[in-house]
Amino acid sequence: MGCDIVTVSTDTQFVHLAWKKSEGELAEVRYPMAADPTGKVSRLFGVYDENTGLDLRGTFIINPEGVLVNSEVNFYNLGRNIDEMLRKFKANLYMSKKTNEVCPSKWKEEGDKTLVPSEAMVGRVHEALVG
Amino acid sequence: MSEGVQLGRKVPDFQLNTYDPVEDKFSNFRLADQIERKRWTILFFYPADFTFV
Repeated sequence: MGCDIVTVSTDTQFVHLAWKKSEGELAEVRYPMAADPTGKVSRLFGVYDENTGLDLRGTFIINPEGVLVNSEVNFYNLGRNIDEMLRKFKANLYMSKKTNEVCPSKWKEEGDKTLVPSEAMVGRVHEALVG
Repeated sequence: MSEGVQLGRKVPDFQLNTYDPVEDKFSNFRLADQIERKRWTILFFYPADFTFV
């Protein structure tokens, strides 16, 4: 899809290697595992926890121009939904090509209903979605 | 929420050492390379290796 996933934690690249080779659940992992032991990049993205030295569960989508188009941050105890992550990526990819369209809350994939905002739609979103 | 980055703004260039499981090698990730190659990037931060989802 023209998208590169990179995982990041404050572990070193040596720990990533060891974990990848030891944990069966990671057998299918093919993306680079990045190391941020100083927390510099984690702080840039606002996910570094100064109390623990660990990263919060943050996901950031950056477009090919280098612009941040989406962010989601969960506390340690809540896993992120990967389907939702892919949905948001696909929506941003679609909207990068159709710059006059926006994806409403029920949008899941290309072909689903989008909106083209205009003055005529103000106060009439219901008609636009249902019509 | 975010200290340095902002939605709708360019992310400052950064780089990170990586472990590449496909090549089984240590490598490097740089945002500037992604932009040059016109690739989307999803950065997925998590607390720690050897812990449980």
